[in-house]
Amino acid sequence: SRTQQEEKLKASTTLYVGNLSFYTTEEQIWELFSRGGDVKRIIMGLDKHKRTPCGFCFVEYYDRADAENCMRYVNGTRLDDRIVRTDWDAGFVEGRQFGRG
Amino acid sequence: KRHRTENIDIEERLEKLILKVGDKSSASLESNLEGLAAVLEHDIANYKTKIIRILCDVVIGYPDKMTVYTTLVGLLNAKNYTCGGEFIEILVRDLKDVLKACEFEKARYMILFLADLVNCHVVSASSLLSLYDNFIEVCLEDNIPQTRSDWYVHTVLYTLPWVGKELFLNKENEFNKLLVSIQSYLGKRSKTHLHALKVWSSDSPHVQEDRLDCMWAQIKHLQSNAWTERLIRRPYLAFESALQDALQHTLPNIIPPSHHEDALYPLPVVVFRMFDYTDVPDETTVLPGSHSIERFIIDEQLHLTLLLNQYERKDCAATLLMFKEEKIPLNYMIIETVFAQMFRLPNPPTVEIFYHSLILELCKLQPSTMPIVLVQATEMLFSRLDSMNTVCIERFVNWLSYHLSNFQFKWTWEDWSEVLKMDPMAPKAMFVRELLTKCLWLSYHKRIVEMCPDEFASILPAEPRPKFRYHAPDDEIETETMPELMYSLRLTKSIKAKCTPEDVLDFLKEIPNPLDDSVEHTHNPLAIDVFVQTLLNLGAKSFSHSFAAIAKFNKVFKELGSSDEGQQCILKSMYDLWSDHQQMMLVLVNKMMKTNLLSVSAVANWIFSEEMMRDFTRFYVWDTLHASIRKMNKQVNQLQLEVEEMKDKKEEAANKVNDGLDVDENVPTEDDIEALEEKLDTAQSDQKNLFLIIFQRFIMMLSNHIANSETHGQEVNTLWFKWALDRLRQVFLQHHSVVRQYNNTLETLMFTSDIDFHILTVFNEFQALRG
Repeated sequence: SRTQQEEKLKASTTLYVGNLSFYTTEEQIWELFSRGGDVKRIIMGLDKHKRTPCGFCFVEYYDRADAENCMRYVNGTRLDDRIVRTDWDAGFVEGRQFGRG
Repeated sequence: KRHRTENIDIEERLEKLILKVGDKSSASLESNLEGLAAVLEHDIANYKTKIIRILCDVVIGYPDKMTVYTTLVGLLNAKNYTCGGEFIEILVRDLKDVLKACEFEKARYMILFLADLVNCHVVSASSLLSLYDNFIEVCLEDNIPQTRSDWYVHTVLYTLPWVGKELFLNKENEFNKLLVSIQSYLGKRSKTHLHALKVWSSDSPHVQEDRLDCMWAQIKHLQSNAWTERLIRRPYLAFESALQDALQHTLPNIIPPSHHEDALYPLPVVVFRMFDYTDVPDETTVLPGSHSIERFIIDEQLHLTLLLNQYERKDCAATLLMFKEEKIPLNYMIIETVFAQMFRLPNPPTVEIFYHSLILELCKLQPSTMPIVLVQATEMLFSRLDSMNTVCIERFVNWLSYHLSNFQFKWTWEDWSEVLKMDPMAPKAMFVRELLTKCLWLSYHKRIVEMCPDEFASILPAEPRPKFRYHAPDDEIETETMPELMYSLRLTKSIKAKCTPEDVLDFLKEIPNPLDDSVEHTHNPLAIDVFVQTLLNLGAKSFSHSFAAIAKFNKVFKELGSSDEGQQCILKSMYDLWSDHQQMMLVLVNKMMKTNLLSVSAVANWIFSEEMMRDFTRFYVWDTLHASIRKMNKQVNQLQLEVEEMKDKKEEAANKVNDGLDVDENVPTEDDIEALEEKLDTAQSDQKNLFLIIFQRFIMMLSNHIANSETHGQEVNTLWFKWALDRLRQVFLQHHSVVRQYNNTLETLMFTSDIDFHILTVFNEFQALRG
C-alpha cells in the first residue's frame, strides 16, 4: 500500500541515481557516492536486451545517515559532466536493474 | 471541546508570528516588532505559558535572529514586568539544565541572549556581571581540564561585542576587574595543543592563533574604540524611549555545575586565516584586520550561517551572499570561512561533502566573481603546501578533485609543472599525484591523460589494470612445464564450470606448500596466491564482479585466512594483483573487513609490513587504515547501545511486574544480557588491541628511522619522516575520544620517557587536547 511504501522510503538506505552517462562506470559512481559515507553495493541499471549500462543505478549504504548526505549534497552535482539525480528507493529487488533500454 | 481547539489554533498562530518576525517582509522590522509585541501583550493573559515557552525555544532555535528576539522580550517586559520576570526565570532554568547536560553550544546562545537583554533593559548590568564573576571563578578551580575554564572564559568574551558598552557605561570598575582576571587567565594558559590543531605549521604569512588569544586581541580592539562597533544589527535602538523606563530584573545566582569525569568540553580551536587586505584586488573594499572586531563579527555570522543551514546547501549559499555589508570583500570572507570549517582539526563541524557542494552553489550564484576568488584561494593553498598538515592536504585533494570533476577538469595544470622536478615525497608533488589519482577515480584514465600536459606523464597514475601473475602462454607445452600456471589454469576452468567452494578447497590441498616442511604450517602461501590471484582476476571487470566472486567463495577465504599469516598472504596477493588500482584495493579490503574475511588488526599489520612500505605515504593506505578503525569503533558503539537497550527492556518489564501488569514474552533474561556483555567485552578488547598495534608499529618504524639516521649521520627530519609523524598524529586526533580511554596504558607502556622526543611530542600534544 501507499503508506507502507512511504514507511519503507523513510527507513531506506538505498538511492536511485539517474541521468548517468551510459559510459559511467561503477568505479566512478563508487567514488562520488562514497563522499557521503560507506557504500555497501552498487547495482548498475542495464538495458533489458543488450545488458549494457543504460543511465541509472542503485546505491545502497550501510547507514541511512550516509545516504541522506548524498541526497543533500551530491544530488544535482556532476559526474562525467552530467548532473546526477538521486531519489530514495524502497530497496533493490532482483530484476529491477533492467531498464526499458 | 470547541474551546480547546480554538486555543490550539491561537497558540499555533502566535508561534507562527513569533517565528516569522525578523524575516524578509514588506513592512519595516520596527513596525513588525511593535505589532507583534502588541499582539502578545493582548494574549498574555490567556496564553502566558505557551508564549514564554516559544520565546525560550527561539533562543536556541534561531540564534541568527537573537537581537530581534531580545528586542521583542524587551518590549514585552516594558509593557508587562511580571511576564519579563517569568521569561528570565524559565530561560535561566533551561540554562542550568543544558549546562548540567554539557550542551555547551546551546548554553552559549542562552548566555548571549541574557547578555543582550541588558541592552533591552530587561536584565540589570550588575547581575550579568555577577554571573560572569561566577564563570571566571572556574579558572581558579584545581584539577580541571583547561578546556573547562576555556569554555567559560570564551563564553564571557564572546558576549562582549554585544554588551561590552553597557557594562562599561554602567559598571566600569567591576567590568575592568573582570577583564583583568580574564587577561591573567589567558597569560597562564598552556598552548601545547596548538601545534596539533594548526592547518599550517608555519606562521608565515599568517599567524595561526589559538581562538581565545585572537578573540582577546579583538576585544582589546573593541575596548580601544570605546566599545563601539557598527556591524551588529540592534533593533532595540529604535525603541529606546519605550525601553528606557522599563524596570530591570536581577538574574538569579547561576553557579557553573562542578566538573566531573564524563564532562566533555569543546576542544580548543585554532583560528584559520587565509587572506589579508593585500590579497583583495578590489580597492573599494577592505578586508578588516585579523584583530579587528569587525572581522570577529562577520566571521561569526558566516560561521553561524553555515551551521544553521548545513542541511540545505542552496539556502546556505544564498544566505551567505545576502550579507550586504558595504566595503567588505564578502566573497573572500565567505571562502575563508568555508575553508576554515573544511580544514578544522581534528574534524570539520560537518561532513566534507557539504562544503564541496556549497562551493559549487556559491559559484552558481556568483558566476562572474566567485570562481576568481576560488582560483586565487587554490593557488594560495598550493603555494603553502610545504607546511600544511597532512590531513588538510588530504581534504584539499578531496575538495579540488570533486570541484574539478564538476567543471570538466579544466585547470591550468602547466602552472604546477614545478612539481615534476621535485622529490616525489615533497608535499606539492605528493599533492598533485594524489589529486590526479582522485580525479582518475571520478573519471577514467584516458581523460586524465588528455587533460594533463604531456610532460606530466611521470606523475600520472598508472592505468588501473590487474597484474595477473599466472597468465598462461599460448604454448600449452610450455605451460605444462610450469606447475603454478597449471594450478591457476585448472582453477580457472573449474570456476568457470561453476564448481563449489568445497571443490576449490580440495583442489588447493593438492598444491604443495613451498614453505620448509620440517615444521607444521598454518597456511600455504602458494595455494593462497594461486586462489586469490586467479579468482580476483576473473572478477576484475568491476567491484560488483569481485564482490560476487568473493561472496561465492567466502568459505575458501575463511579457511585460507584462518591464521593471521594466512590473512597477510591474502592481502599480499591482492596487492600484487591490484597495486596499480588503488581504489580497487581500498574497496576490496574494506569489503573483506566488513564481511569478516579479514580482521582489522591483520589489515593494520599489513599496512606496516615490508611490502607496503612502497605505498606507505600514499593516501589510499590511510583511507584503508581509518576505515578499519571506524569499523571497529562502530561495532563497539553498536554493541554498547544494544546492551543498554536490553537492560532498559528488562527494567521496564520488572517495573510492569511490580505494578501487577502483564509483560511481553520477549523480556531479555540475565543470561541474554551477560552473553551480550561478553560480546561487548571482546569487541572492546579488539578495539584496544587495534590501537595498540597501530601505535606499536608506528613507534618501531619511527624509532628505526631515527636510529638509522643517527648512525649514518643523516638528517632525521626527512620528507618521509614528516609524513609518517603526521599520520601518527592523525590517528590520535581523529579518534581522540576513543584513544583517550587508553591514556594510562599508552603513557606507562608505549609513550614512555625513553622514546625519542619527536614521537613523544605527538603524544603530549594529544594529551593536551583535553588537558
